[in-house]
Amino acid sequence: MQPVISALNLSKTYRRGTEQVHALASVSFEIGAGELVAVVGPSGSGKTTLLNLLGCMDVPTSGDLSIMGHPTRGLSERALTRLRRDQVGFVFQHFGLIPTLTVEENIRLPGLFSGKQVKHRAAELCTRVGLDHRRRHRPHELSGGEMQRVAIARALLNEPHLLLADEPTGNLDSVTGGSIISLLQELTAQGLTVVVVTHNDRLAESAARRLVLEDGRLAPSI
Amino acid sequence: MLLVAMRNLICRPLRSTLTAAGLALAVAVMAGLSAFGEGYRRSLDSELSRMGMQMMLVPLGCPYDAAARVLKGRSLEHSLPEAAVLEARSDPAVAVAAPMLLASVPRPAQGRTDLWAGIDEAALQLKPWWDAKAGERWFTDDDSVILGAEAAEVEMRSPGDLLYSPEAGRSLRVVGVLARSGTSDDSLFFVSLRTAQQMFDSPGRITAVAIRLHDPEMLREASGRLQEARGAQVVTMTEMMGAFLNLVGSVRSLLVSVALVAVTASGLIVFNTLLGSVLEQTRDLAVMRAVGASRVQVFVLIGVQAGILTGIGGCGGLLLAALLGPLIEQIVRGMVPLAPSGTLLSLTAPVLARGLGLGLAVGLAAGVYPAWQASRVQPALAMRLE
Repeated sequence: MQPVISALNLSKTYRRGTEQVHALASVSFEIGAGELVAVVGPSGSGKTTLLNLLGCMDVPTSGDLSIMGHPTRGLSERALTRLRRDQVGFVFQHFGLIPTLTVEENIRLPGLFSGKQVKHRAAELCTRVGLDHRRRHRPHELSGGEMQRVAIARALLNEPHLLLADEPTGNLDSVTGGSIISLLQELTAQGLTVVVVTHNDRLAESAARRLVLEDGRLAPSI
Repeated sequence: MLLVAMRNLICRPLRSTLTAAGLALAVAVMAGLSAFGEGYRRSLDSELSRMGMQMMLVPLGCPYDAAARVLKGRSLEHSLPEAAVLEARSDPAVAVAAPMLLASVPRPAQGRTDLWAGIDEAALQLKPWWDAKAGERWFTDDDSVILGAEAAEVEMRSPGDLLYSPEAGRSLRVVGVLARSGTSDDSLFFVSLRTAQQMFDSPGRITAVAIRLHDPEMLREASGRLQEARGAQVVTMTEMMGAFLNLVGSVRSLLVSVALVAVTASGLIVFNTLLGSVLEQTRDLAVMRAVGASRVQVFVLIGVQAGILTGIGGCGGLLLAALLGPLIEQIVRGMVPLAPSGTLLSLTAPVLARGLGLGLAVGLAAGVYPAWQASRVQPALAMRLE
């Protein structure tokens, strides 16, 4: 079966002034459909860089990366945007909701860019994450857990194959964080591939697999 | 896209309103000036056409000042000998030569100046459109007076009433009231030329001669010949129109320059507002990029914001120009040398379209750089700017 993510010798080097920073160095791994994978490691180990590459928000300096069998090497900015829009959903630590839009409008946002009819899908997702009663509320009227559920619903709108989450429980209390972990597990059980960057032990332990990054290199899998 | 753009503007109401108001003011000024240019030319053209003449014989001095005063029914310091009429009538190119004697009579007690015009039958040939609203359209005897529509209202007289003239030391009978024509005739007191010469102690003198030619093509030759008349000079309506349009055009050019500065300033305000907005929205724009917005879509989003701001500003400006039109007209009327009686501000569809087009062009041009900046926001910033 074709892996959802296939990374081979993935490297990313930044230039900071005259200094070269090797954020990622020859990272290789594969992630299959329906897996919940936690990317862990100390700060500055390259977790966010890896997530950016997986989400086609940045391009590797060298190495090969395929998302759902689509090689990303040499793709234009437009093609990367299309791949990101159609195949990947994002969940941010600080939710990334647009403050001027309502819950429902935030969920429908990716549809605005994909040009798809998403009204019913948005309503369905709103129900699915238990926010029917909050549909017309603005983000500032929601609790942290509710905002993260809106972010997850938005990430699922375009029916992606891959969900990338950056510290999805980082801003939540343990009870709310627990409900988010359950939701992510539920999604993987339904076949969605989820990659989370986390410092949360509970979330990392709930993952089927952990990728441990240290100084941009992948430590042996746990 | 429209909804997202609208929400972004609405969430900063004061800034958006002030930006649109700045643009509205600039558009209003531009549309007002443009409307003034059109309206002035049209009204002057119409008024001169209704005079029914192509040229005028006036006393020596500034011909344009003299002609402008005569057209508005105001008296001159100097006068012409009545013989000038005969001289004009003897010219083969002249079809009608209508003499007039104009006199201004201040009425300090009433706070106004009565304008009297002495005319002979030739005047009717120049103004066949002259129509009596009540009574006669011509004098019945030397003691009769015909009032312009406004003059009759001010004097509260109608045909049959007596009007005492201290100048003549006698009462004149109102024999007719003219229908409103929208020209200076509306405010005049008309008497026969003879009566006027008696009333204002000017026997054998006239203020000017209005001349219509058989063929307007003969204007140049006729003008050259009549220029020889003693103590008189010729001013053609074409020269008048050109001179006044030039004068008004110069004033307008100056005002347009000022207005262009205002438009540029409003463009910079839009630019600043949108650039500030883009900087404030960087995180949101990065999130949009992360969830699938292309660079073009982000560019369009900011472009739509610019479009909404300038659209509202532009429409507001046109509304402002329409509302402030009468006030602007009143101010302008006091500033220009010959203000025709018709509407000076002509807010026609092309004028409105030009004003709105200019507003939109300035606003959209001001939105290009902020939109381009927005389109360059990297999606990865969504992670870093949290």
